[in-house]
Amino acid sequence: MLPTATLRLAAVVALAVTLLSLAGMALQYRLVEGRLMVQAQGLLAADLDGFAALYEQRRIIALRQAIEYRAAAANPGEMLMLLARDGAVLAGTHADWPATVVARGDGFGTDGTVRFTDAGQDWLGVARVLPGGFPLLVARSLAPVEGTLAALRKGIVAIGLGMLAAGALVGWLMARQVMARIARVNALADRVAAGDLAARLPGARSADEFGLLETHVHAMLDRIEALNRATHRLSDTIAHELRTPLNRILQRLAEIKGQEAVTDDLRAQMRQAIRLFDSLLDISRAEADQGSGGGLLPLDLSALLAEIWELYEPLAEDKGLILDCDLAPGLQVLGDRTLIAQMAANLLDNAVKYCRPGDQLRLHLTEGAARHLIVLSDTGPGLPEDLRDRVFDRFARAERDRGLPGHGLGLALVQAIAARHGAKLSLPRREKGFAIEIAWPKLAQDAP
Amino acid sequence: MDRILIVEDDPQTAEAVARTVRDLSCEAVIATTLEAGIAEALAGEFRVIVLDRMLPGGDGVDAIARMRAGGAKAMILVLSALGRAANRVEGLEKGADDYLPKPFEPDELRARLRALLRRGTIEVLDNDLMAFGDLEIRLKARTVHVKRAHVAVSPKEFELITFFARHAGQVVTRMQLLEQVWKLHFDPGTNVVDVHVGRLRRKLEAAGSAAIQTARGEGYVFDPLAVSVSG
Repeated sequence: MLPTATLRLAAVVALAVTLLSLAGMALQYRLVEGRLMVQAQGLLAADLDGFAALYEQRRIIALRQAIEYRAAAANPGEMLMLLARDGAVLAGTHADWPATVVARGDGFGTDGTVRFTDAGQDWLGVARVLPGGFPLLVARSLAPVEGTLAALRKGIVAIGLGMLAAGALVGWLMARQVMARIARVNALADRVAAGDLAARLPGARSADEFGLLETHVHAMLDRIEALNRATHRLSDTIAHELRTPLNRILQRLAEIKGQEAVTDDLRAQMRQAIRLFDSLLDISRAEADQGSGGGLLPLDLSALLAEIWELYEPLAEDKGLILDCDLAPGLQVLGDRTLIAQMAANLLDNAVKYCRPGDQLRLHLTEGAARHLIVLSDTGPGLPEDLRDRVFDRFARAERDRGLPGHGLGLALVQAIAARHGAKLSLPRREKGFAIEIAWPKLAQDAP
Repeated sequence: MDRILIVEDDPQTAEAVARTVRDLSCEAVIATTLEAGIAEALAGEFRVIVLDRMLPGGDGVDAIARMRAGGAKAMILVLSALGRAANRVEGLEKGADDYLPKPFEPDELRARLRALLRRGTIEVLDNDLMAFGDLEIRLKARTVHVKRAHVAVSPKEFELITFFARHAGQVVTRMQLLEQVWKLHFDPGTNVVDVHVGRLRRKLEAAGSAAIQTARGEGYVFDPLAVSVSG
């Protein structure tokens, strides 16, 4: 089985850790970006203040000289342009006025700064038209800001990937620990399902939710075990309390001489009563053990059915039935030999009892894809419609059969035995007669 | 005189068993608790121990291993109210030599005790041929002959006649046949066994042997010599 729950939990932890740290770093990024822009604005404002002072002194001429001087210094981080009224460049660090920038307003305030791109670089600047119609552009390159931010983004990606890996590792370890605790409980459930009702988890319970879960499971198992034991004890007690007095009666019966017809009849009735009680106890025992694999051993179903068929064959022949037994050889199941023999005997006994001379009786065993299929069918009177729905109930008998011997426990026992083995019963409808199908779980290939 | 130990807490049952034991010319020793029973079993020489299950002190079946470990060599017949098929199989698996559920017929108990007494003494003179006058059973060839003529029997009928032959002269009950020949430990309700025995019996009679006779109510007796002497 894939540890899907473990993987899912690990993934959730890893993603949550990564997303939270990414959100934190994104906030940080915004703050840094804002601070850097404010800084760039400050530098721009200082430049503008400088040019404003020069303009105060000698107007355009001073500006032109200052810009020419600065252009000579060739600082790639600044762009200064002063144009004449007709658009010709009076002075500038660059050859042309950037096409996308439109000069607006006058004065040297920092309001209305524009961001623009020129020759693949980002700039922050202020473009004005000075009195007399002289356009002026003062701009600072944003390349240092961009460089810092790019480094920061790279860092964020790297840290994000690291967080994802670390989160996955932490999540995996965490999930493994949680799942290991659950796996303990699962392993216990498997052992119980395999028939070991007394199985318990070793060691002390921890004082957390897992400890509580284990305590609850243990409490449930204790209860099931107690109920199961009580069922077994009850059936033993019933057997003892019923059979001991019957035994005394039978001993006294043996002492009665000369009335053989009466004593034989009493003996037969006593035997019937015991059979009835045994069937009831067998049913409740099989039901109590249902679903637990305990006590079941690998056995050859084909051979066992052949034996029981052989036991009933002369009886059926003497009754004049037409027999057909076809058993695929060597089919193995996990089972209780006595119970399966009882089941087959019950079914064959019923068939022989209800069929009339000339009826057909068929027993087929075939290997299906997932299950071995037993089909027993006859052309006898079949099931009366009023009995079909409750035929597996205890003491269910048709009105029609009141005259025949029996106690209506046969099919209830058959069903309890099938359920004990995990086999599925069905009653396919036939045009004539009775048919029962029992789909038997195959013995797993890797079983011992 | 052979001694038989009865471990049974119900006085009436114990007395009924003791009567059957005395009928077989054996001496009956009664213990009423499990501990007393184990002590007797280990102290005395017994041929058979008739052991109850739900005893004061515990389950007799659980004591079989202790008795065996202590050196008790007696055959053990469990006689118990725990008479369902599952109980019987459990008892046999735990080492009982035979298992008879209560209520039991005195005749059935007698047949079982006889079989157990005999089992301790059977000497196989020839491991191939069993001969009873003019009836011969060849074990290796798995064939039956009456007056030198071959009698065709089915495999199950062969098992049946060899079981009868091993208990020649004794009453063999239907329940014993079902348990020993078919290895089934439940009461199928219908007397299926009778049909099988009837067929075997008719085959032998057709060949001229009245070896199998009905014993009133209880079962059958295989006694070819007695019949041939008297008949």
